[in-house]
Amino acid sequence: MRKKLKIYLPFVNAGMQETATYRTNWVFWQLGNILGCFISYFLWRAIFVSSENGSMNGFTMPQMIVYIFLMFLTTTLINSGGTYDIGEEIRDGSISMRLIKPISYNATFLFQELGNKIMTVCVLIIPLVAGVEFVRYRFTGEVQFHILMFLLYFLSAIFAYLINFFFNICFGFIAFVIKYLWGANMMKNCIVGFLSGQIIPLAFLPEMAKKVFLILPFASLNYTPVMIYMGMYTGTKMLMYIGLQMFWVLFFWGLSKLLWSVAIKHLSVQGG
Amino acid sequence: MKQIKRMMRMHRIFVTQELKRMLEYKANFVVGVIAFLLGQITNILFIWIIFSQIPNLMGWNINQIVFIYGFSLIPKGIDHLFFDNLWMIGHFYVSRGEFDKYLTRPVNTLFHVLVERLQIDALGELIMGISLICVSIPKVSIKWSLQKGVLTIVAIIFATFIYTGIKIGTAAIAFWTKKSGNITYMFYMVNDFAKYPVTIYNNTVRGVITYIIPFAFTAFYPASYILTNANPLYNVGMTVVISIVLMTIGIIIWNMGIRAYESAGS
Repeated sequence: MRKKLKIYLPFVNAGMQETATYRTNWVFWQLGNILGCFISYFLWRAIFVSSENGSMNGFTMPQMIVYIFLMFLTTTLINSGGTYDIGEEIRDGSISMRLIKPISYNATFLFQELGNKIMTVCVLIIPLVAGVEFVRYRFTGEVQFHILMFLLYFLSAIFAYLINFFFNICFGFIAFVIKYLWGANMMKNCIVGFLSGQIIPLAFLPEMAKKVFLILPFASLNYTPVMIYMGMYTGTKMLMYIGLQMFWVLFFWGLSKLLWSVAIKHLSVQGG
Repeated sequence: MKQIKRMMRMHRIFVTQELKRMLEYKANFVVGVIAFLLGQITNILFIWIIFSQIPNLMGWNINQIVFIYGFSLIPKGIDHLFFDNLWMIGHFYVSRGEFDKYLTRPVNTLFHVLVERLQIDALGELIMGISLICVSIPKVSIKWSLQKGVLTIVAIIFATFIYTGIKIGTAAIAFWTKKSGNITYMFYMVNDFAKYPVTIYNNTVRGVITYIIPFAFTAFYPASYILTNANPLYNVGMTVVISIVLMTIGIIIWNMGIRAYESAGS
């Protein structure tokens, strides 16, 4: 175990340094995303003003604000770049450099990403959680922050990250088929964004669609952690959804192993 | 005149080159168009689901919202189709040292960058924008006149150059910082505000998207003139003025940047 850790720690370090090098670019990227949150906020404010009742599908206005910003935080936390990186490496041939080393291909990615994740968590999590709690305090007049809830949210977000990580690796193998990764990735992001509740809470969808979407792996990505934080999933319901998350982690982990063993046989590296 | 003729001829050559490339990679073309189409479809689903639960959005009905949204995609799509290469400057070309090639050719650098690529993905946005306008037009009762027809075309052309101007200015920042793609991205996120009526925002946001980063003139203001006939001098006239101002600023920053540029390549 210790030996393993020693092998992979430099990758964590590399990930951190990578983020730090392009920090101005990173800051503008996140500023852009936060602006996006404010668009959602104003849009939802207008929607609630126009609606006759104070609550829509179980969401009140303050809850909607909390939802928007937690959704952004969770999306950033669980974001994984596997699709793009693997695809690029297959295309430019640098994948061969990883293959000749006696280390796990997936693990190097995981640890490298862990590095820039640490940076993200440090910068974003405190202001966003504080902001969300401030909104809740202003509307209800009491502090609603529960450390237990927060820890459960964090646990659920870790599972969500793992699902996303292995799902993206599976998707990355599409590079063998589709050469236009940027387009394929964008297509995936649109579908996942909608099915995981980034655009609209799944509670707003028609009954049938909602039932199906909640079982699909995409709801396990952002929706489950956010619902746990907001206290909308509690007790057995919460355990059930965390169980579902664990199932999807195992599923995509297995699938990525399978695809890897198939794909590696067909890999022909051009140059590099 | 001779200069313009030469530029037109070069533009044609570059476009032919791009079309050849597109035919070579047909699958890319399909994937790209579908990707951008999907992005818009999910947003339309959002609007549709919301309107199934509220009668109107602060006085705007679904048809008007869909019309404004559709209109916003037209200038955005045209700019995306013709001038997408500017993104590459801020994201890759300068930081990888690939920009040097533009400096070695006997053409204006900005012109070369602009005409070099044709981004067919943009058809996804254009198809969606035109469909939304076609679907909503019969339901919003617009009174057409020759004047309105002309002003609509003027508005679309100049609105396109609002995007291009902002992209030129922000891409040129890379000549100093090596990477500026995400600055362009940040400005682009502001543009999402403009897809909806500015009247739903508070005064601060309204002020920002009207006067500071004036994306509201790419969609809401011209579209509201088409819908309501109100104040063409402001709604379309300001689009023209702002477009010219932003293009001028963009080109000035670009030329300053070219002088300050130092290659990152080896």
